[in-house]
Amino acid sequence: MIGRNRCRVLCAVIGLLVVALPATGSAREIADSAGRPVEVPDRISRVFAAGPPAAVLVYMLAPETMIGWPRAPREAASPFLVPSARALPELGRLTGRGDTLGFERLMAAEPDIVVDFGSVGETYRSLADRVTAQTGIPYLLVDGRFDAIPQSLRLAGDVLGVGERGEALAEAAQAIFDRVDRTVATVPDEDRPRVYLARGREGLETGTRGSINTEIIERVGGVNVAEGLREKGGIVQVSPEQVIAWAPDTIIALDRDFTREVGDRPAWRPVPAVRSGRVFTAPALPFSFVDFPPSLNRLVGMIWLLHVLYPDRMPDDLGEQVGAFYTLFYQVDLSDADIDRLLGGG
Amino acid sequence: MSVIAAEALSIGYGSTVVASDIDLTIEAGSVTCLIGPNGAGKTTLFKTMLGLIPPLGGLINVDGAPIGRLKRAEIAHHVAYVPQAQFSEFAFTVLDLVVMGRTAHLGLFAAPRQTDVDAAMSALERLGIASLAERDIRRISGGQRQLALIARALVQEAALIVMDEPTASLDLGNRLLVLDTIRSLAVAGPAVLVSTHEPEQAFAIADQVALLGRGTGCEVGPVDTVLTADRLSRLYGTALLVEATPSGRRVVGAALDDPLSAPSAGS
Amino acid sequence: MRATVPVLLALLLVAVMVVAAGIGPYAIAPLEILGAVIRRAGGGEMDAAETVLFQIRLPRVLAAALVGAALSAAGAAYQSLFRNPLVSPDILGVSSGAGFGAVLGILLGLSVAAIQLLAFAGGLATVAVVATLARALRGGDLLVLVLSGIVVGALASAAISLVKVLADPYDQLPAITFWLLGSLAGVTPADVAAVLPFVVVGLLPLVLLRWRIGVLSLGDDEARALGVEAGPLRAAVIGAATLITASAVAVSGVVGWVGLMVPHMARLLVGPRFDRLLPASVLVGATFMVAADTLARSLAQVEVPLGVLTALIGGPTFVWLLARSRRRHLP
Repeated sequence: MIGRNRCRVLCAVIGLLVVALPATGSAREIADSAGRPVEVPDRISRVFAAGPPAAVLVYMLAPETMIGWPRAPREAASPFLVPSARALPELGRLTGRGDTLGFERLMAAEPDIVVDFGSVGETYRSLADRVTAQTGIPYLLVDGRFDAIPQSLRLAGDVLGVGERGEALAEAAQAIFDRVDRTVATVPDEDRPRVYLARGREGLETGTRGSINTEIIERVGGVNVAEGLREKGGIVQVSPEQVIAWAPDTIIALDRDFTREVGDRPAWRPVPAVRSGRVFTAPALPFSFVDFPPSLNRLVGMIWLLHVLYPDRMPDDLGEQVGAFYTLFYQVDLSDADIDRLLGGG
Repeated sequence: MSVIAAEALSIGYGSTVVASDIDLTIEAGSVTCLIGPNGAGKTTLFKTMLGLIPPLGGLINVDGAPIGRLKRAEIAHHVAYVPQAQFSEFAFTVLDLVVMGRTAHLGLFAAPRQTDVDAAMSALERLGIASLAERDIRRISGGQRQLALIARALVQEAALIVMDEPTASLDLGNRLLVLDTIRSLAVAGPAVLVSTHEPEQAFAIADQVALLGRGTGCEVGPVDTVLTADRLSRLYGTALLVEATPSGRRVVGAALDDPLSAPSAGS
Repeated sequence: MRATVPVLLALLLVAVMVVAAGIGPYAIAPLEILGAVIRRAGGGEMDAAETVLFQIRLPRVLAAALVGAALSAAGAAYQSLFRNPLVSPDILGVSSGAGFGAVLGILLGLSVAAIQLLAFAGGLATVAVVATLARALRGGDLLVLVLSGIVVGALASAAISLVKVLADPYDQLPAITFWLLGSLAGVTPADVAAVLPFVVVGLLPLVLLRWRIGVLSLGDDEARALGVEAGPLRAAVIGAATLITASAVAVSGVVGWVGLMVPHMARLLVGPRFDRLLPASVLVGATFMVAADTLARSLAQVEVPLGVLTALIGGPTFVWLLARSRRRHLP
């Protein structure tokens, strides 16, 4: 899987040199997801991703344009990334409050454009305007809502100068959504799995119904047992007794250690999912299948969840589908051993 | 028999000497008045005699033993302290405050028993403030608080009670009440060492007087020989005279050249 | 009357604990509880109701009582020690230090037991640094001690903020936030068993020295003149209160207000004498915390952070206490 990528990087470097030499400075105006007009340079070779969700978007479309990660991926993620992206520096995030990056550092990084993927609400719109006003760097807001993924891929692909790839990924993403819709349509309401998302090593953090953390579970027809205080949902803490009262039949865990230890914890024993051994760790390389970052990485999570939640309705091989997704979206070819390691919770 | 004796004592904080060459012996059942201007070291001397700060030189013997060798509880058995003022953030009752005087007689891990409470109550009765026992110490008058602190010193059963300006900031009635109490205490038992700004109080209650001047050492002796107009004038740096009223009370006044006040000087 | 107050408080605590043990999202009828307790005495495999009772609910009720008692005892001791009723057990930075330890543990991805241990060690280490610093600056001066506590506490808070910036915003940051808000959601019987000895060992000196600690509230000079070795006594109280608070915070996270407010409530009942205040504070604190934690786990399906609840209850209660004591001071 390495060899092919090395060739690709070489091509990318040559391509970069070619496009970087004649800095013509020509530009076009494009409306971003928030409806803001953005002056987009014709040739984009340096992209700054404003946060982890945007980093996944940019990585999928045009990894060679990335100048760094908002947060560097873990060491274990390296084999699942194209070589050029593995050693990129950690630059910090630019998300309004709690930034870890100053505007001056942003300018020093000399990006052609800043891409943000997520909420396009007023806060982020004004932040984007301020960044452009102060630095002169165009700032593209891309709608991060789950169902908007195909459109967002097309928009970002067009801006980054990889329109064809954007279109291909958008179609593949749409196919995954269609598959989900077809499968879920065959499941009667009373057969919907009752799912609890266990975050953290103790498994006592969860996302409530409607939260961005659990929308993938709800999208594939799972009933999120955690009902929160407000409709929009969010991360909350719960007690083991509440989990017992909710009686989920499936637990999706983010922490491998939780899955390993939960059977030995007396307080979790009465939970149906634990009794029946239906506790699954979401694979997390190079990005988590579920929950975070709330980005395109969750597309493959939907495939995985369909197999986990409806094993009888998914006759095809999970490993094959995951391998195909990685080839197309992450541009890495996984060996069977890689796939086993990935799905085994590595 | 002396309850406390200071020899060639130097007092002060750290390396700063406030007063030196102090020789002071206090006999059982006596009242000693410590007189001196502000800053002469009256409170420093008290703290040294209570073992709260170490002497910078010389010796203090408590019941024949150097004070530095005694434990806190042992010192408390010999010397009790009536501070100038008592400010508490907490609503202790007068009885609570007085029972605390028993601390040195209790084991390290013990709390007061009924006998200690009884002792506190009888001390309050002796000072005539038993009716205040359950009152908040922050809500009684200054004079009553002084009496409560004296009661606390009494239940400590020490041979010497050291009082730091007990009559300061008291009104006339309370002042006379406190002075009366001090005089009657000494007759019955513990010696009293009391500091004051007013030499007249010494004439009224003292058996001996210690004059502490700023940097001039300490002169100790009977009231009549020590409290002369000459010495007082030197001590306070202004011309003073001592005279007897027709009733025999001695008062201290300014020796003025002003002719309007002259006639009294001659009478 | 005075002697009956602790008895009544103890009865109230038991009553509140029994009620709390009967409340929870997993419905168990009162008779079933009784049956479960009897069956448990016989041993054997636990059913779901028994697991909820003995693995989750009772440990949590016990932990709440323990944490409430610990924080209140430490608060009462510190208020006497520092001669100031507005002092809380955090005055020497123990909570900030414990918070830093825990947050560091979360950042490093350690196990829960290791995080609790780091919190405990962080609390102890912070107070040790404060005490050493104060001693080096000016031995025994109370004001210098408090100022050192504020300075070192502020440094620990800054370190917590730094860890928050470094932490993974999706994974670690929520865990850090929940820890700093305090919660007993994940308490296990093992946690209670681990913390209990430390709290008992810390309470012991406070109980034994109860009379002298009260005398110390008159101020150093007076206390020493009354025969109290003020310096060693203060060191013992600080050591004991720090041990208690660090143990409590390690299991519950940062829970504010309790250590400040409960001693005031207890003082209204039994007066300021520390020998009476200590048992009253322990009982009131345990009762308050059991009640607050029962609310935290039953107000909604999800947990309401304990620190948020104690602040919501504690703030207004404290204002009421202040208003009340002010009225009493008027002639």
